[in-house]
This record gives sequence, structure tokens and C-alpha cells, in this order.
Amino acid sequence: MPMAPASRGDVDVWDRSEMEPRIRHILERTVRLRDTGPYRPKSDAEVMAMLSTFFAAKGLEEFSISDVERMSGGASKEQFAFTLNHREDQQGERLVLRMDPLEAIAQTCRGREGEIQSIMGNHMPVAPVRWFDADGDLLGQPAVILGFVRGVTQPSEGGSAGVSGMGGRLGSLIDRLAPQYIDALAVTHRFDWSRAHLRFFDAPRAQSNQAAIWQVNWWSQVWWDCLVEPVPVVALAERWLRENAPVCDRPMLVHGDLRMGNFMFEEPSGKFTAVLDWELAHIGDFHEDIAWTMQKLFGAWGDDGIFLVSGLLPRDDFITQYEAASGNRIDPVRLHYYEVLNAYKCAVMDLGQAMRAATASNNHQEVVLTWLGSAGAVFLNYIVQLIRKG
Amino acid sequence: MLPDIDLRIANMIKALEQVILPALPRDQRLARDQAMLVAGHLRMIGEQWKSALRYEQVALDDLQGLARDLLPGAPAFLADDLAAALAMAEACDRASVTAIEQANIAIGHAVDAVILGGSDHAPMPSAAVDRLLDYALRHARRERSWFKANRLDPDQNDLPDLVTMLAETN
Repeated sequence: MPMAPASRGDVDVWDRSEMEPRIRHILERTVRLRDTGPYRPKSDAEVMAMLSTFFAAKGLEEFSISDVERMSGGASKEQFAFTLNHREDQQGERLVLRMDPLEAIAQTCRGREGEIQSIMGNHMPVAPVRWFDADGDLLGQPAVILGFVRGVTQPSEGGSAGVSGMGGRLGSLIDRLAPQYIDALAVTHRFDWSRAHLRFFDAPRAQSNQAAIWQVNWWSQVWWDCLVEPVPVVALAERWLRENAPVCDRPMLVHGDLRMGNFMFEEPSGKFTAVLDWELAHIGDFHEDIAWTMQKLFGAWGDDGIFLVSGLLPRDDFITQYEAASGNRIDPVRLHYYEVLNAYKCAVMDLGQAMRAATASNNHQEVVLTWLGSAGAVFLNYIVQLIRKG
Repeated sequence: MLPDIDLRIANMIKALEQVILPALPRDQRLARDQAMLVAGHLRMIGEQWKSALRYEQVALDDLQGLARDLLPGAPAFLADDLAAALAMAEACDRASVTAIEQANIAIGHAVDAVILGGSDHAPMPSAAVDRLLDYALRHARRERSWFKANRLDPDQNDLPDLVTMLAETN
């Protein structure tokens, strides 16, 4: 393993100020608000009051909110379904309020999620974005309001979904789901973000290691801000990631969390109804998405004993089909780097942010956070294996 | 007979699974999910609690070993803190989970500082990196075995049970 001081590239790999400005804002806000907890899960009545204030401020007239229903799923946001009627829409629409608890396993921006999801709705099936409140100015806490999308993330029969969609099996629908999954990745990476006039995103420089260092600085700041108990290999991984940061030739839109559990489909057709959870989206190196979806924890074993990426395709088939659909060539060295980065990110989320949120009682489902935290060592194991492989 | 810990854990799991969960409406999915996870946590705690002190002792012993390995190659300005944390760990009350946890955290901070090499990012000797990776593998395997019952580990079938894992460290 190379441990010489880093010197390559036009970004100082140890400059912790090298971070996307909106991400810095979110991380600083997290620390600033942390001590205002503990967070109490919202009641239906509280949600109705928040939404009433919001829709009044948005100028909706003669509106009513009904059938408020708390939703499960995910490990991050507090979610409620509800029906909104107003003068311009007497028939009403079923909507989803997706809002930040005080702290979650990932601290992200509803403005970024709302903005990119709204745009990507022109390119692939996503839940339509109706409104977002990036800093919670009107709702009291940051949130996005989405159209309700029908579908499942695991087959109703024999899906055996685990926490947050991990460890499930997609059964007989694999052949219909896999091409749509590849297409979602390829369309995301082909998207021309430079013409999109994004308000909540900044892009790292091309032909630079800035894309990698922005990610390392994001997640290492989360780690040090949240630290409950030091883990030596997490510090070692940070050092390795700085000293081995690769150049990104051409920054692309990265979904950040595309995997089993984060796409929804209808039964029995298997047709995608929504690509979910755009909260980790950013402009960066597409290898990050490829490495993310290839993680063992997000895959499944087929009946023949072969490991399936995201429960869908053997690794080699996945790479071949992705390259054909996207036009991108996967570089094994960069893929390896982003495998380490993703294992690091997951360890930071599970053993850092989740544990801090649970310790501070700043979430609506701490039992989920500690459950996921109990899997954190899986990623420590990956980090060792990957660094040794490199 | 006083109600012991195992009995109370078993009672709580039964109450959750046979009384509380069936009483929760099917559409209250978050409440149902959380109730099931509470039962899962209780089941794991039931397996772990008798070994908790031993587990913490083993974890501290291993981290102390790593700290001793790193000490000779650590930059002088970091070695003092590492040596102090080691001394604190050696003096800590090994019958107290809390004291051991605190010693673990203190050594952990000092080890982190050595890994990052201070503001100059002093390089780590390759032998020290190898020792660290060896330690990290043991640490990960220990924690994965400790939480094997969560069934989230893709390689859970390769892991020993708690008793075997702790016996391996003797």
C-alpha cells in the first residue's frame, strides 16, 4: 500500500476545505442543530398543522388535507402519505411528505433531492416533485413533497426484504428488471448536467482529483463531527483515500444510492414506476455508482450460487451491459478506489452518523439506526480486503 | 426466584410478538417494523449480555496490542499521547464495562492521531500499516460475530458463534 505523502493533482488532498458548498452548509447545520434535540416523531395532527401552514404560504385556496398516514421504509427520512384537495384540484392528489428528522443515517439536502428528481423526471420514472422546502423555512424542517407512486421494491411473493431493501431476492422478475436498472444508471450518467442550471449543486473540475477529494472531505467531516468511538481502520481508510485519489476525466451526475430497494416496480409486469432516493446525488465520478451497486451487502446470491449485483446480474454481465448502455468504459483502478470510498462511506454512516443520531435521540426510528449500526463491521472488513487488494 | 435477565428478555419478546404486534393495525407499518426490530434487538441482547464484559476486555486487549505495535514508529509528538493512553488502559478497572469502554476510546483517539500523522501527515512505516490491517481484520471479524444474529452480513455463514469467537481469543 502506498503511504507516501500525497502530492498529485491540482487539489491538496489534505485540504479539508475542499468541499461542495451546499454539502458544507448541510453538515454545518447538522452540528449547529444537534443539541436542540431530542427529536420526537411527528404525530398526524402535527403533520397536518405543518402542511396547512406550508400550503397557505404557497397560496393554495380552499385546501384540505386528509388521510394522513405514516409510511415505513428507508432509514433516513420521516415520511407521511396524505391527500391534498384545493380549489384548483377538487379531485385531490395523493402525496408523500418526506422530511428530515433532526439527524438521520445520512444528512442530505431536500433542495438537492427535489431539484435533481424534478429534472430527472423528464428522463426516467421518478416520483414527481410537487414542492420542496430546502431549509424548512415554511414547514419547520426541511422536506420534499412528492406525488405518490404505486409499486413495490420487492416481489410481494417470496421477496423476503430486509431492512432498507437489503438482502432481498427479486425472483422471476430479474429478467425484466435488469435492463431497466442498467438503463437507469446509463441515463443518469449520460445526463448533461452542465445545461441544467442546477441551483443546489456545484461541479468538481474535470481532469482533476477534486471529485474524489470532495467526497473524502464530505464523509470524513461526517465521521469526525459524529465520532462516538474511534475505529482505527476508518482513519486508515481516510488516509488511503486521500493518498490515492484518482483524477476524474469528466464529472457526471452520480445517483449515489442506486441499488436493490431503491427502485420501485409494478407487478406482475416488472415495469419500473420510480427510481427512488436521489438524496445522495452529486456531480462526480460515475465509478462511484458502479462500485456502490456492486457492494455485497446490496446484492444477493442466485439459486446457482452466483453473486448477483443488486440482486439482478452477475458482476461480469453487469459491467458488459452497463458499458454498452452508457458508452462509459469502466477503469478497474478507479472502480477499486470507489469501492474503498463506498465501503468507507457506509462505515461512516453506520458507525458514525447513525450512532450519533441514535445516541442523541435525534431520529424517529433509533432502533433501525442501531440495527444498521450493528452491520457496520461488514464494511470494515471490506475496507481491509480492498486496501490489501490494491 | 427473582426474575433474572434472561427471563425478562424472553418475556418481553413474547409480549411483543404474541400480544403487541397482533394488536397493531396492519396499516401501521412503521410501528410494526419497529416492534419487530425491538424483538430482534432483545433477542441479540439475550445472546450477548453474559459475554459483554469479556467482549470489551478482548477488544481492549487487542487495541492495546495495536497501540504497542505502533508506538516505536510513531512520531515523537504523538508517541507521548499514545503511551499515556496505554498507561491509562493498563490501569483501568477491568471489571467495569464503562471503564474499559473509556480506555478503548482514549487509545482509539491516540491511535487515530498516529494513523493520520499529525498536521504534517507523517508517513506510516509499511510494517505498521500491515499490523493495523491485521488488527482491523480481527476487529471486524469480532464485531461481525458479535452481531451475527442481525443476519445482515452476506458472509454470516463463515462467522463463528459468540462462544467460539471469544474462546478463539484465549
